[in-house]
Amino acid sequence: MARLGWNEMVDFSKVILDDYKLFEGIELVPLETYEGMDTKPALAFKSPMASGFYKPYLIKGSDKIEKITIGELHYMGRAKYCALNMTAADDYDLPIFACEFDETAPRVGVTTDFMPTVDIAAHGDYLEKYYSPIAGLWRKYRTIPGLTKDGRCLVQRRYGPWPWARETLSPFSLDGRVEEKEDREKVMEAVFSYARVWLDLLKTAEPINDPEYKQEMLKRKKTMQKYYRDLDPGGEVMKKIFGEGKHHLFVSLVF
Amino acid sequence: MGEGIKWSPYLEKMREQMDQLKLSEIKEWSGHDLTTAREFKTAQVQGGFKAFRAEKIEKIGIGSFCSNKEIHHGFCTIIPDEDYDLPMFMSQWEEGVKEIRFLVDIMPTVDSLIDEEYRKRYLESVQPLWEKYASLPGICPEGSDVIRSLCSIIYTAAKVPIDKEGMRLAALAPHTEYLKSYLNFLKEAYPIKDDTKRKEVKRKRGVIRNVLRTRFFGETVNDSVSEDLEGNLQEQMVTILF
Repeated sequence: MARLGWNEMVDFSKVILDDYKLFEGIELVPLETYEGMDTKPALAFKSPMASGFYKPYLIKGSDKIEKITIGELHYMGRAKYCALNMTAADDYDLPIFACEFDETAPRVGVTTDFMPTVDIAAHGDYLEKYYSPIAGLWRKYRTIPGLTKDGRCLVQRRYGPWPWARETLSPFSLDGRVEEKEDREKVMEAVFSYARVWLDLLKTAEPINDPEYKQEMLKRKKTMQKYYRDLDPGGEVMKKIFGEGKHHLFVSLVF
Repeated sequence: MGEGIKWSPYLEKMREQMDQLKLSEIKEWSGHDLTTAREFKTAQVQGGFKAFRAEKIEKIGIGSFCSNKEIHHGFCTIIPDEDYDLPMFMSQWEEGVKEIRFLVDIMPTVDSLIDEEYRKRYLESVQPLWEKYASLPGICPEGSDVIRSLCSIIYTAAKVPIDKEGMRLAALAPHTEYLKSYLNFLKEAYPIKDDTKRKEVKRKRGVIRNVLRTRFFGETVNDSVSEDLEGNLQEQMVTILF
């Protein structure tokens, strides 16, 4: 089992933005207020125990985006809690792209997914529309050591203790605990690959026309956001470090 | 046909559980005579399927067949009456000489992200079994994207390697245990009172059944085995199960 030093750990936002150039060809513009909150306190924060940033964006000239957030929270020089979230505007039924990448010396705990904004089992066309482009990627990356272990594929197990969180996942989530350095890097490749597909889907996304379907979609989307904002297991620690107000801002930007 | 191999008692163990219910056989369904599937034997396959009715249940489908490709298939489904918000039970078993591939689930008939009470009653209550069987060798996600998209958060699927004979019974345990849990739900089930919920259940049940009817065999049963099901045998099985 590899134990990585702080400087050997994945530089999450740099890898996404500079190495993979995820947003090449897209002009990101800062999202200055979100749900009535000034986002400035999230852009850079520091306390005796933790420091980091959650930077929220929109896409210039596009009305299809609610937020794109990239963030890192560094905790006592021991752990990095990183996130990438891309949420479409309420007129679009795109799944929520979510990535949680929590790294410590012995391992990375990762969950990356297109979280469905409708009940896939009740809407078969949603599966075809949004998941057929990542089905091959899911098959490729779910064999990364740590997602598959001792002949058992443990994908869809990381959120085991939290049934509400598993409910938010799609049948194509990639999750697990990855140890070796090269496997952590492979996970980043998977995150980028999923994110790239999501941005491609965004380009061709059309607004919802059916008001009943839109209502159903929004109900599920808002329920998911509420669950993560209220029940995320890291929330209590964040509240202690930063207080209720900043916690609410940070978690709202990430989910 | 499978001579020398002692197949698992899939059908017997599932029937043992079902026999707690007061079952009445369904002999005809939507104009289809189901009795011809009770027992069949061709050059390639032999087995039998039956459908039953029971209180609060529209249809129970159960059956198995062995093919001369040395594969033992078993299926068991429970479709509740549409007046109840009960989930659907589904068990698929494909037993070979060296590996058993299976799926067992309790499929929600509502959006179980939104309906927390439903989730707690029918899914979270089965979570201890889901956790228990996570340690089964060969545990893996269901391979069919279409079928996986219908599954609940507590489905169990695996490709269990048979490196010792005890593994056959170990792989069977999730099926009988999930079924026991499901049968316990029946006792507490009451008709849906809320119109919106009734509409949601009706719609989702319809979509799931339609997907299973049209895609299940194609997605989960090996093409060559499927070809061995002569005449309208496969169609009969679909009618009985879904």
